[in-house]
Amino acid sequence: MTYDDYLDGKPAVITAALTGGVHGKEAHPDLPETPEEIAAAAAACEEAGASVLHLHARRDNGERAFSTERFQEVADAVREATDDAVLQHSTGGTAAPDALRHEPLRTDPAPEMASLDMGPLNRYERLTSENTRGLVASLHAEMRERGIKPELEVFNDGHLNESLAILDDLDDPPYLNFLFGGGTTSPPHPRNLINRVEALPEGVEFNVIGFGTHQLPMTTQSLLLGGHVRVGLEDNRYYERGELATNEQLVARAARIAEEVGRPVATPEETRELLGLRGR
Amino acid sequence: MDETCQHLTYREEGDGKSFETARAFCAVTESFVQPMRADVCNARYDLDPATDCEFYFDPDAETTDGTDADGDR
Ligand code: SF4
Repeated sequence: MTYDDYLDGKPAVITAALTGGVHGKEAHPDLPETPEEIAAAAAACEEAGASVLHLHARRDNGERAFSTERFQEVADAVREATDDAVLQHSTGGTAAPDALRHEPLRTDPAPEMASLDMGPLNRYERLTSENTRGLVASLHAEMRERGIKPELEVFNDGHLNESLAILDDLDDPPYLNFLFGGGTTSPPHPRNLINRVEALPEGVEFNVIGFGTHQLPMTTQSLLLGGHVRVGLEDNRYYERGELATNEQLVARAARIAEEVGRPVATPEETRELLGLRGR
Repeated sequence: MDETCQHLTYREEGDGKSFETARAFCAVTESFVQPMRADVCNARYDLDPATDCEFYFDPDAETTDGTDADGDR
């Protein structure tokens, strides 16, 4: 993935992160939480150009759920509402025990993709999501067993080290997701993304997330460097300052920008080919 | 402590918002709680509100000189 890929007009994969696990309707009244709400948002995002749908599950009261059962409800509703988009289940989670972190991988059928947090990160003032190497390895092993493509979540440079160290264990092409924002994520600045991309060996595909106000500039830069983008209300609640967004609006804007800069938006089929996915 | 925070309630209304299903509400911040933080409020996964939440206060705590912790200082 390089600037040459941009010049060659390589298709850009748009991932929609519809709901997340951190905030809910107390922060954005229309943030989807129920399986039905998530499915409706998924359909609208697929229509707007998203080929990957990043999914979390919630309890009825909006709180996080990791159970296979709840993920199954969400996945079933999303499959029903969408044509061909790739489902990507989150395995990320603050202090949830290791056994629970595996549960989102166990739906039937398994998701085509799942997130894999590459190391510790701080939450709030006194919480750390540990993501030990042992947990990363066991999640990855189960993903491989079930034909699930891991998206390596690289919250900071330490996580890049950890990712590069396991490149040989990953099926081709390795797929890394670079996150930019506050706290223990990487400082959001264009030079930091360029440094990341330059550190990548040949053949690695990358995706970019920018939290909040950094979503638009960081994802746009990714398009120019041959990378892919993730947008959605999980990462950013606003369309512009003071104006709440919808998931669909954020995807539609990413699709417009991709097309404008010469990166055609990848269809689900092209996404499967690019990332070596199992198929829905 | 490994039990639900004493400042946690579940409410359908508050802080200028309303919900059909009761949601976690913090009596200290007087606001609805983010879903991820509700793990702390509920002491799930071995989390402890007294040590893991920056908003928590213990109304029964006393200072070493015997005065109330939240008294004038
Ligand atoms: S936010 Fe903190 S103080 Fe408030 S209910 Fe939750 S744990 Fe208790």
